[in-house]
Amino acid sequence: MVKMRSEEILPLITEAIVEVLPELEGHAFTESNSLEGLGANSMDRAEIVMLVLERLDLEIPLVDTFGPQNLGELAQHLSEKTSVRAQKRA
Amino acid sequence: MRDVAEIVVTGLGVTTAVGQGKEQFTRALFAGDHRFAVLRRPGRQLDSRFVGAEIPSLAPPARVAARDLRTASLTAQVALATLEEAWTEAGLDEADASRVGLIVGGSNVQQRELVQAHDRHRAKPRFLRPGYGMSYLDTDLCALATAVFGIRGLAHTVGGASASGQLAIIEAAEAVASGRVDVCIALGALADLSYWELLGLQSMGAMAPMDCADAPEAACRPFDTAHNGFVFGEACAALVVERRGARPPREHAPYARLAGWSVQLDGNRGPNPSLEGEVRAIRQALGNAGLAAADIDYVNPHGTASPVGDRTEAQALRASGLTRAAVNATKSITGHGLSAAGAVEAVATLLQMRHGRLHPTRNLDDPVDDSLRWVRGEAVEAEVRHCLSLSLGFGGINTALCMSTYESRRA
Repeated sequence: MVKMRSEEILPLITEAIVEVLPELEGHAFTESNSLEGLGANSMDRAEIVMLVLERLDLEIPLVDTFGPQNLGELAQHLSEKTSVRAQKRA
Repeated sequence: MRDVAEIVVTGLGVTTAVGQGKEQFTRALFAGDHRFAVLRRPGRQLDSRFVGAEIPSLAPPARVAARDLRTASLTAQVALATLEEAWTEAGLDEADASRVGLIVGGSNVQQRELVQAHDRHRAKPRFLRPGYGMSYLDTDLCALATAVFGIRGLAHTVGGASASGQLAIIEAAEAVASGRVDVCIALGALADLSYWELLGLQSMGAMAPMDCADAPEAACRPFDTAHNGFVFGEACAALVVERRGARPPREHAPYARLAGWSVQLDGNRGPNPSLEGEVRAIRQALGNAGLAAADIDYVNPHGTASPVGDRTEAQALRASGLTRAAVNATKSITGHGLSAAGAVEAVATLLQMRHGRLHPTRNLDDPVDDSLRWVRGEAVEAEVRHCLSLSLGFGGINTALCMSTYESRRA
């Protein structure tokens, strides 16, 4: 898989959020939303991020995704990780 | 033993292949229904045609959030639905949560879901759902139930193989009798077997062989001379056990008193039964209840359809002098719920007691013992004042539970 842009990753994140927190179905997500603010506890967060990693086929430790504070930062962070991987594979 | 005259059952919940809820289940019992077929739930077959009874559909309770349902195993979902029925009937929303407990009977009750998770992630293990780290535990059932219902008194699991369900009732009765809590729910958890457990149980000769897939409806035949091993059945049941007088009396009379019980061990690792152990459990339960064998109107036996198990149990009933009591086998209708069986059969017993009717034993064409009063063919009317339910588990576990109508209590 090649590098993915954060705009491509953001929908994967919101899709995973709705899967883990079905009550957010139909919510208008923004990049500034934080997972915590959306009602995710630490286990929900881990589940959401793992679903995204699986869909990106990105095998990185979950602990490497703890930095980002909101959805936009998370998408950007994961985009950079896919970039690193694309370079390694090149 | 403490004053067991005060320990009563005030709420029941049940989910089986022949029905969710007491109403459907009772109807199915008296009609002698069944849902035995080649098992279809994913993860139950590989090169096999295992037969059993599966729950066709489940209505989860409204109080469980969708986010919890996503990660709740089948076992947990069925537990929550079953608990909801018992909880509501006993009016526990009004009870002091710190005085309410939960004992879950069963161990390794989510095997099929675990195997499925392993299979799904074998190629890419790193993407395993993080929540697996806690949901693989049987105690996830306790965690979910306490979160959903607000239980704060106590919550843990007990394992006693196929006696787990009855063991949970006995532990709940002990918890209430000792004053540790006022109310304790006993749950017989659904044993969600995977292909591997089914294969192991069949290989060891406990479960009916593969060729019964040609006629699944005839496979499960407790106490019939053509019995050939147990047939699996998905099931779960919950009983609300409480100390009478610990909270304001309910509008409805309790189902029964838990009059006496006993847990006896054989000192045997194997699956084989012990006549001596079974008789000991029966005698002690009767003794604790202050009853004689002649007082017992009805026996709900373990009756799995294992040839050696059925014959030993029939012999134990005879040796205990239980020849006046009517006997039927609930597993002929539900299949063997393993960890759930003892709780499901206690619920079946109490529902029969309340309706004054006993359900028929399916497929009991030629009983292994003519000296016992089998109920077969059709349901019969019967007044049951005192009854006995038996459970047996691999590893030499014998349990007996004596239940009496609330009105029959001694002055």
